[in-house]
Amino acid sequence: MTAGVVLLAGGFAAGLFGSLLGLGGGILIVPLLTLGFGVPLRGAVAVSLVSVIVTSSAGAGVYLQRHVANLRLGMVLELFTASGALIGGLVAFMLPVQALEGLFAALMAWVAISMIRRRDPPRPAAAVRVLPPPDGDQPPVPDAVVPEEPAELPADVAQPSFTDRLGGAGYQVRHLPVGMAGSVGAGVVSAMLGVGGGIIKVPLMHLVLGVPLRVATATSNMMIGVTATSSAVIYLLRDEIDPFVAGPTAVGVFLGASLGSRIAHRIDVRVLRWLFVVMLVYTAIEMSRKALAL
Amino acid sequence: MSGEGGAVGRTQPRLDAAAIEAIIARLLVVGTYLAMAFILVGVLGMLAGSIDPMNHGTPPPFDLSRVPGDVIALRPEGFLWLGIGTVIALPIGRVVVAGVGFLATQDRRLALVSLAVLLVVTVSILAALGLSG
Repeated sequence: MTAGVVLLAGGFAAGLFGSLLGLGGGILIVPLLTLGFGVPLRGAVAVSLVSVIVTSSAGAGVYLQRHVANLRLGMVLELFTASGALIGGLVAFMLPVQALEGLFAALMAWVAISMIRRRDPPRPAAAVRVLPPPDGDQPPVPDAVVPEEPAELPADVAQPSFTDRLGGAGYQVRHLPVGMAGSVGAGVVSAMLGVGGGIIKVPLMHLVLGVPLRVATATSNMMIGVTATSSAVIYLLRDEIDPFVAGPTAVGVFLGASLGSRIAHRIDVRVLRWLFVVMLVYTAIEMSRKALAL
Repeated sequence: MSGEGGAVGRTQPRLDAAAIEAIIARLLVVGTYLAMAFILVGVLGMLAGSIDPMNHGTPPPFDLSRVPGDVIALRPEGFLWLGIGTVIALPIGRVVVAGVGFLATQDRRLALVSLAVLLVVTVSILAALGLSG
């Protein structure tokens, strides 16, 4: 009974801190389960995937209601993230566990470096509509302005191309093939390591495809569900999901992420972020030690 | 599903993008709460039954045919699998609804994209079954 409550509390903490820091639970859940509870890595990845689907679905629902996520672009890119997740889900069962642990340690180090280099988002002005941070594997939300609804095109204007129609108010999608290729990579990482992959998708969409950061963040959050599902079914049908571990963890993550999204705009996360960086570095070292059997 | 748009001379679908997004949003929000409710019942059953998640022997395997019986018998694993199954099914449901919506708005390319996403998920299931077998 105690372990169930501790798992729920751990999931809650992962969901809360993930939401406050704009990261998904995956980067926290996998080390929590492997290093804290001794769950085998593949089992932890499986539980993490269930949790990231929960937070993605809840977050995507809100973002679609508010018309922040770009459904059309998300659908196109998730075809490639899902394909990558299928590949990653299969490769994860072929690689030795030590290799996966090493990769996870590298991912944590990368996330830590990204967080150190990240600029603080500007405080929103009173007149600006603010949305809660996403619940996926996402960076914080620097541009707090909600895009306007797309203007309707006049009837006599020539029909836009497929790529043109993937854009939104005030932006056009560019370099779509690069985005597709990068999405495959994000899917592979997600499936192998049990993370949402937002750490790859958001910069890809924002910097390469030219999508505004807030839209990229919300769209990535929406895509995580399908990406994680493509690999979660592999873990599910291979009996790698322990429902007694996944249940309390998922409920905890859901509650924590829900609370985090409500209080995020009232909390200065700078100190929290540095503490998190220290924890990431420590966990990366521990994961590396496990991978190298030291 | 569609009528004639006289001024433009093109077919105007009744369903628009905003309506599709609203339907999907409702599906995801309601579905997530439903899944969480199932899982929460399972977790409470776990706690009431003093099941230690770290020391309970072999995890109960996922068997769809056993879920209804386990739920009726109020076994925690039944509710947990029902909730986890709902969680995993939600994104698939979202793609299905989006695909139907794109068809209704005569956006054939995105309808095909939706179908392709579903095919990838189907291949994942088949691959997992093949690996398990």
